[in-house]
Amino acid sequence: MIRLIYACVICLCIATYACAEESTPPPFAKAAENAQARCVRIYGATIGRERGYATGLIVSPNGHILTAEGIYLGGDRIRVVMPDGQVQLARVLRRNENIQVALLKIDQPTSVYFDVPPKPIIQPGDWTIAVSNCFKVAGNDEPLSVNLGIMSMRAEIDTRRRALDFDVAGEIILIDAITSNPGSPGGAVVNYDGELVGMIGKLLHSESTGTRLNYVIPSDLLRLFIDGKPVPVRTSDAPDVQSDGMPYVGLRLFRMAGKRAPAYIDRVESGSPAASAGLKKDDLVLAVDDTIVRNVAHCDEVLSKLRPGQRVTMIIKRKQQALSLALTVERKERDE
Amino acid sequence: MSKAIWLNVAVCIVVLVTAEAGLCNDPARLAPRAFRVAVAQVKPSVVTIETYGTVSVAGGKRGTRFGAFSRPGEGPTTGLIVSANGHIVTSTFNFIRKPSVITVVLSDGSQHVAKRIGTDETRKICVLKIDPPTPLPVPVFVPADRVRVGQWAISMGVGYGGDQSAISAGIISAVNRVSGRAVQTDANISPANYGGPLLDINGRVIGVCVPLSPAGEQTIAGAEWYDSGIGFAVPLVDQHDILTRLKNGESIRAGKMGIVAAPLPMGQGVRLTQVAKNSPASRAGLQADDILIGIGKLRVIDMLSLRVAMGRYAAGDEVVVEFKRDGREMSVKITLEAGPFDYVHEATDAATAEPSSDDAKTPKPE
Repeated sequence: MIRLIYACVICLCIATYACAEESTPPPFAKAAENAQARCVRIYGATIGRERGYATGLIVSPNGHILTAEGIYLGGDRIRVVMPDGQVQLARVLRRNENIQVALLKIDQPTSVYFDVPPKPIIQPGDWTIAVSNCFKVAGNDEPLSVNLGIMSMRAEIDTRRRALDFDVAGEIILIDAITSNPGSPGGAVVNYDGELVGMIGKLLHSESTGTRLNYVIPSDLLRLFIDGKPVPVRTSDAPDVQSDGMPYVGLRLFRMAGKRAPAYIDRVESGSPAASAGLKKDDLVLAVDDTIVRNVAHCDEVLSKLRPGQRVTMIIKRKQQALSLALTVERKERDE
Repeated sequence: MSKAIWLNVAVCIVVLVTAEAGLCNDPARLAPRAFRVAVAQVKPSVVTIETYGTVSVAGGKRGTRFGAFSRPGEGPTTGLIVSANGHIVTSTFNFIRKPSVITVVLSDGSQHVAKRIGTDETRKICVLKIDPPTPLPVPVFVPADRVRVGQWAISMGVGYGGDQSAISAGIISAVNRVSGRAVQTDANISPANYGGPLLDINGRVIGVCVPLSPAGEQTIAGAEWYDSGIGFAVPLVDQHDILTRLKNGESIRAGKMGIVAAPLPMGQGVRLTQVAKNSPASRAGLQADDILIGIGKLRVIDMLSLRVAMGRYAAGDEVVVEFKRDGREMSVKITLEAGPFDYVHEATDAATAEPSSDDAKTPKPE
């Protein structure tokens, strides 16, 4: 009996100890350390104010390194600093313009590397742990910096074209940790279990908000690129259907108030697509399909880009109502 | 003996339960689920705001007008339903392009033309009104005095377009910021969610996300902090009852006396360098060289304390102003106005009457 109780107490002690041991490590330590062991620093050419450094992901046991496209890949000496501080020289195997990533190769095999999941592995609200060479704050023998955030959303985002920016193809994952920093591109974002969510992309601005984006190129797109499969092309960049004449809708806008004025309809031609759709004088054009019409000039531009035969939905304001009216664009005849 | 067996079984059960609980209750693993539930609760009350017929913003002063932005975004913005019959609160930031038409897209996809009926310039919020065919879902609000530093805070907004909200999680960093008007959070507050809700972990609304700055009054002020870890949201349920006033079409503007002041050394108060003609201050009898020492219940020791004290009031509020003249302490009641007032400038310090001047050492109108 005493022996039994004794055994029980020991059992309890062991169990408690095991529990305590299991809950001791900080919540994000495993994910962070896993990612740090699979990320490299990349140093290369610099031009002007462009940063000559970035981060990279080890994605195979044979020395394949994935990173974001950048000026640092431009020169003939691309240095890769491995997690243990060793320096390797790398060459660029392949690049992809649509998602602005590059695959590098070093000669040194590695025992640990990222599995790149072919399917999305997180949803909005899930933890994201970012590991990157931001601002070069980590010395060569120091672990890379870790930032905690959550996934904000996954969507195709309109981005602004500037010298440093590009339109990214396909969906990206927005996170709420700040990763739009020098040196962060090419960095890893992993989930709570340390699995690869995606790679931090190069600097992008959102057309919609005017702000820098903190985003990740999802692992499923990276997987396609690594496997040499086609990566999605941005829909807005897809080639136009053959142009077959000028579009004809049959409405004229009120221009007296200037090109920046709201796009009020001044006249609807009888028998035109606009007339049969039910558009009327003094309607205000709010949107053509998914494009918000900002003003007269913008409305003209949007209408001129329609194709004959195309079915479009126009959203208009009439008195205090927003109406949605559908019409089929016709071809403009020569003599009009 | 049988007792011992029971004891043994009981202990084993306790051990098992403890171990199980340890695995399942990993709080870090539970948080994302809680974020999603909170966001889903308020989602039907979050609306997309589209603006049309906007003015060109290219004419603004170079590099100053939009702060950190080379140009403001062109996309949709966020609003929050605050009444079943169609009142929607949003941020004035979303209308810096001065649109001639504003529409609201509800979560069911229907689009409605909105009227802007009331504005609070001190909180950077305004109320829109639509006429919905059926009652709208109103979220639950957290009273401002229940918000505590360290609690979870989740921001959401539809500023990136599409029908998804971008969400961000953080904690409440401070309460009673910006003259008591705002809570501060390290969840991302940016043009993507200005006008959207800041939620607690139960999906109740703590406040409306806005750009705010303790130092600037312009609509854009504070937006440059969008990725700094500093963000603000204004509570709607507090003693000020802002919402009722805005729904009634009131405009709330910063309250001013019509003075320019300069600090005295050693925190002895601030000296009036100018009192504008026809201002509340001049009508109350304040004169140049009077030394302000208190406003309401707050002591004025320097320019910062003057700004904090004045920030608590809006135009139309009555305040008791304490001052010293020739060493004698006096007090007077002043009803604040929005201005602007005519200041007499000396050529050398013409800029000091600009409300955007951030330098606390230079004289500043209040």
